[in-house]
Amino acid sequence: MTTSEDDRDLLAAEYVLGTLDADDRANVQMLLAIDPEFAETIGKWERRLGELHQLVDQLEPPAASWDRIQARIANAPPTGKLWLPTAEDLAKAPAAPKPAPEISEAEARAAAEVKAPNAEIISLTERVRLWRGRTVMAGALAACVAALLAAREFVPGLMPPPRIVEKPVEVIRTVEVPVPSQRMAEFVAVFQKDDASPAFLLTVDVERRTLSVRKVGAEQPPDKSYQLWILPAGATAPRSLGLLEEREFTVRRALADYDGPTLSTATFGISLEPQGGSPTGGPTGPVLHGKLLQTAPAGFPSATP
Amino acid sequence: MLGQTELVWLLAAVAKGDQTAFERLYVATRAKLYGVSVRILRRADLADEVLQETYFKVWRSAGEFNPRLASPITWMVAIARNGALDMLRKRTEASIEDEPQANEVPAAEVDPLAGRQMTDELKRLIDCMGALDEEHRRVILLAYYNGWSREQLAVKFDKPVNTIKTWLRRGLIQIRECLGA
Repeated sequence: MTTSEDDRDLLAAEYVLGTLDADDRANVQMLLAIDPEFAETIGKWERRLGELHQLVDQLEPPAASWDRIQARIANAPPTGKLWLPTAEDLAKAPAAPKPAPEISEAEARAAAEVKAPNAEIISLTERVRLWRGRTVMAGALAACVAALLAAREFVPGLMPPPRIVEKPVEVIRTVEVPVPSQRMAEFVAVFQKDDASPAFLLTVDVERRTLSVRKVGAEQPPDKSYQLWILPAGATAPRSLGLLEEREFTVRRALADYDGPTLSTATFGISLEPQGGSPTGGPTGPVLHGKLLQTAPAGFPSATP
Repeated sequence: MLGQTELVWLLAAVAKGDQTAFERLYVATRAKLYGVSVRILRRADLADEVLQETYFKVWRSAGEFNPRLASPITWMVAIARNGALDMLRKRTEASIEDEPQANEVPAAEVDPLAGRQMTDELKRLIDCMGALDEEHRRVILLAYYNGWSREQLAVKFDKPVNTIKTWLRRGLIQIRECLGA
């Protein structure tokens, strides 16, 4: 690092730490707004130092705060930045899965307004299919959870490590992210229930119609198998994509039976099953915590497909 | 507090304008954000103002949150801290005599053995900070938790501002090197 790079880096560090005076803070904020590289430097320091907040005591704010916040947001919709690729991007990717039909007009309009998607994590539609709504799945999903889809260059190591989920959550949520242009082909999902269970990193290459799963967490319980499922959009029951054997670090599957658009809109799931896989052809795994249905937050906005 | 994955999802929903998700997010995080602001501003009314501003920003810019780059709570705390620090700096410069208490905060030290739940990242950071010279560590912790500026630290430690600046920089460089890029 040169001296001037070092100065810049330490300016960012002191901004994050909070030791700058009002003028310097204003300067940094201006720089932050116009210089993405500097913004990234700030981000790095926020990651380095930000964890210190864990040692700050929590304190309940006055009840009236919420009313005022609600009043403020009432007429101020989220800006929706980075949320959607531009219409142009979509047009440039003819082979790409079409945007899902349930995109609302408002979303489509928003898509046209977004100036510069950076294609890091752009969620075009977030189709959360809680499998709980399907009786066949009730009580079935033992290992799972939230899925984050990212672009091809997604690096698992960059993901913040999953934290302990305080209440067991056993739903499958999947974000589908048709990423513009050449990045369209791959999707990544992370499945994890809690620290004690294995985490899975699911990658789907839509163009090549292959899927790989990497196990990145703890050992699986003895006498059990993890089974991978696909639920194509509109399908009523998940179909098995096979078992994830314990010895395998990375599992690959060909998905020749499904075309690109199907894959890009499908929901994937992993259930804990008896050794050898589900005896019924559908997920049957035991409910580990009995909270399968409840812990998906009742008001969870994305819970409706 | 909810787990990280749930907060990520709540933020994603908030970005789409979902008010129910926003309320859940508020319930899950308000005490942390308010605690951070009160710690820095030491006045409930100002902290409340910052809290409202923070959630307004979260509501407006939830779509900019990138789970690859930050944890949700760290991202939100950063917004709250920056709001509190901006307010503190402006007020301090305008009328420092109105805020004598800002300079009379008892030195707060962090006890890493306080038995709290800590993430691995925090443990690493604390390990790294353990290797710092005591003065370097103290100025960094006081700055982070109390929002003290170089000038306030200079008063507290009875040292020239430049000395404080040097301590801060040495400490921060050492943390950077210890944690890696």
